[in-house]
Amino acid sequence: MTIAGLVRAEEFTPPGPGDFELPALFGGVDKPMLQLVLAALLVVGFFWVASRRGELVPGKLQFAGEQAYTFVRNGIARDIIGSRDFMMFVPYLVALFFFILVNNFFGLVPLIQFPSFSRASFAYGLAALTWVLYNGVGIRRHGLLGYLKHQSVPAGVSGPILALIIPLEFISNILVRPFTLALRLFANMFAGHLLLILFTLGGEYLLLTSDVAFYKPVGVVAFLLAIAISFLELLVQFLQAYVFTLLTAMYVSGALAEEH
Amino acid sequence: MSQSGPFTEPPASRSQDPWVAFGRLVAGVGIYGLCGWLLDRWLGTSFLLPVGIVAGAVLGLYLVFVSVRER
Repeated sequence: MTIAGLVRAEEFTPPGPGDFELPALFGGVDKPMLQLVLAALLVVGFFWVASRRGELVPGKLQFAGEQAYTFVRNGIARDIIGSRDFMMFVPYLVALFFFILVNNFFGLVPLIQFPSFSRASFAYGLAALTWVLYNGVGIRRHGLLGYLKHQSVPAGVSGPILALIIPLEFISNILVRPFTLALRLFANMFAGHLLLILFTLGGEYLLLTSDVAFYKPVGVVAFLLAIAISFLELLVQFLQAYVFTLLTAMYVSGALAEEH
Repeated sequence: MSQSGPFTEPPASRSQDPWVAFGRLVAGVGIYGLCGWLLDRWLGTSFLLPVGIVAGAVLGLYLVFVSVRER
């Protein structure tokens, strides 16, 4: 060990899952919980204000609200579920999409900068809602036994192999789905946020704390990369909200479909 | 309930969640791996767990092929 090695400031500790455990602010309520409430208020507030004066020639705000609503109504609900049944599910899908979108964007909003759904339990909660919805409408459409048959007996398989396929299809359609749905949202938000704090904290360490002169320009590069990754995250955050809503619509559509 | 639009509405697309393939593989490996493991414990053997895992993966893949062919 050289003298320089002894003088060197504290070691860099890379960020990890522990950075997602935020301390309670008051009475067991922490920041992500408040973010969920804030996101709900923002979404409800936006659509309420945008639709308050339903004018024939819309103003800017009403136009924005209508565009946002139409995007989910036509682009997701009607295209996937079909024009016969889709209107019933539009309120849920619109609320779901914009709730997830706002919560994901919180990952980049200054001073908030934490994507709510990087906490896995929130994502599981949303997936549970979708699970109840698509199984519920499926059972209502086909009856309990009819629905189980609909989801467990695949078309185009016959003979003794069917006995092996049925439990597999049941598990894949009823039990595994909510987990893949939640995991995709959670893991994307978690990984994106981890990447951002790694580049930011690493850049800060290299630039300010480390005393090797060569590291300082590398720290600047790390900051530049953090900005670049922020733009990538913007895309991922939108995409994950879209995918979650799209898959919810697909599950509903699959549960409602007539016998193959 | 017909929503009359300015253009004819497209029929529901028959697209399917691409992740269903993943779910089927996981389900196949999980359930038949579990069956193999339980049989191993019951019979005191040790070769049925890998057999179950491979059989489950094969069944999951087969199911994916069938569902793509049927569409």
